Amino acid sequence: MNNIDILKERLENAGASVILLTENQLQSCLETHFPSILNFTDTVTCEEYRKASLEKMEKIDTALFAGRFAVAENGAIWLEDEDLPQRVLPFITQKLVLQIHVSKVVDTMQEAYQQISLQNTGFGVFISGPSKTADIEQSLVYGAHGARELTVIMLS
Amino acid sequence: MSEHAKKAKLFLADESRSRWHDETLWMVRQKRDHVAGMVPEWEDLRQQASDIKTDVLEHLPKYLQQFEEKATHHGVIVLHAKDANEFNQLILSIIEKHEAKNIVKSKSMLTEECGLNRFLHTRGIEVTDTDLGERIIQFRGEAPSHIVLPAIHLKKEEIGETFHEKLGTEAGASDPTYLTRAARLHLRQKFLSADLAITGVNFAIAETGTVVVCTNEGNADMGVHCAPIQVHCMGIEKIIPRQTDLGIFTRLLARSATGQHVTTYTSHYGKAKPGGTMYVVIADNGRTPQLAEPKYRQALKCLRCGACMNTCPVFRRSGGHSYGYTIPGPIGSILAPRRDEKKWSDLPIASSLCGSCSNVCPAKVNIHEQLYAWRQDLMQHKKTSWLKRVTMKITGIVLANNGLYNLLGFAARKALKYLPHSWVYMPLNAWGRGRELPLPPKQSFKQWYKQNRKK
Repeated sequence: MNNIDILKERLENAGASVILLTENQLQSCLETHFPSILNFTDTVTCEEYRKASLEKMEKIDTALFAGRFAVAENGAIWLEDEDLPQRVLPFITQKLVLQIHVSKVVDTMQEAYQQISLQNTGFGVFISGPSKTADIEQSLVYGAHGARELTVIMLS
Repeated sequence: MSEHAKKAKLFLADESRSRWHDETLWMVRQKRDHVAGMVPEWEDLRQQASDIKTDVLEHLPKYLQQFEEKATHHGVIVLHAKDANEFNQLILSIIEKHEAKNIVKSKSMLTEECGLNRFLHTRGIEVTDTDLGERIIQFRGEAPSHIVLPAIHLKKEEIGETFHEKLGTEAGASDPTYLTRAARLHLRQKFLSADLAITGVNFAIAETGTVVVCTNEGNADMGVHCAPIQVHCMGIEKIIPRQTDLGIFTRLLARSATGQHVTTYTSHYGKAKPGGTMYVVIADNGRTPQLAEPKYRQALKCLRCGACMNTCPVFRRSGGHSYGYTIPGPIGSILAPRRDEKKWSDLPIASSLCGSCSNVCPAKVNIHEQLYAWRQDLMQHKKTSWLKRVTMKITGIVLANNGLYNLLGFAARKALKYLPHSWVYMPLNAWGRGRELPLPPKQSFKQWYKQNRKK
């Protein structure tokens, strides 16, 4: 298995949906599957939400962010301050969509930490699935406090 | 009977629950084995983690200073607490300074250790625990029974009743998805109105002044990013030297804890959000004395993953509450006596010394060796019950005296053969409760060996 296959398998095991697309299919895919999506790879949307209230952000149904890179061994996708007009956004949205380019996949967490600079980052996070809990009798439930669903769009 | 044994007996009274507890934790252990087996360099990672933690413990002041310099440089306020009281006072002073009213907290074993919630409660300040398992036990006024799975001792029907009473869910409803949704709605309101968020810390990076928090639910992030004030609480041993060390620890932590390849969220906090304030409170609370004892120092390498609990045959069958100490299970049993030898003297005995805990520990803490060392120390310091000491004394005399040993062996074989069952299994024979001895052999091994060796 190549690292793209491993990444896809690990994400799906963690409860995420994975869509493989070419870059020119992206727009039509978003319009079909996520008509109400807020696209935070777009600077206008980012500006609009830079000072938005929690009440406004709580009403977001689906939000799209561009991940910097992904880790094949565990499906983790890296986001940091620069990608987020406000840090709470990928957590407070009901559904989260992350896009990642297939050329930006590393094998392990050890390689992943070579890619980032915590020295210069106020906040950064690896996200590897939808929010989940098993605190009631070890029954897995998606949607504890963060996003209830995660879709990862892998672009080639 | 020891305190642990008494409480374990209560837990075992409900047979179906205790069997479920045993089987469920074993399932978590098997998941851990499955995912660890998928990493070919797993044993190397454990060794590296252990080596890094050893280096940290040897150079703790250097790394703590480095962390503080970097964090302070990034505008983070770093505070130090000598003990639990100082820690609680510091948190109180932060709350008072910012006039915080709505406080949310994600999982932190340090705040459990220091009794922070109780301390604040007596001063009229309420903290909302936001991890689902912790919220459940907070509603019920209980302590966590496991450091990663705090409500593992409860059945969904009990949680349903609690939620019906506290959150107005339907009477009799116990579907985990339904109950989780109710908690999500309830806690979202708490997050949106939070003005101060408290979290624990999994790792603190000396090189960059960053703290790292791992959750599956996203509660740490919801709290930290909603509230203007973020307060991260850590023991001094949570320091690791470099950013690249995280590559090793994040590969080990979730796999060891729950059998996941990584937690859903691995969050790195380095600076406050615009307009916000970030605090890191570093507590010693008894760690330095532990560090001073070479025999027990390694216990401070613990990552708090809970793998030793899931694998422990005693923990699985006695439940976390039977231990009584904040951190239950094998690792808790070597940390607790350091705090109070007399009070926790029965915990190192609550083990079969099978060594499974040490074998699954991602930081290679020699847990079972320390349990054994504690037994010897507590016996010498006369902290164990006199009955246990007398029994051990007599056993020692018998084992050291060849003739006496042979005689008593002979007597035991005869006694077991001829004495009535009710005599052998009289109330004084604690071992015989729930267990049957095998039929005694005709001769001892010694006799058998002598006979057969000649042939």
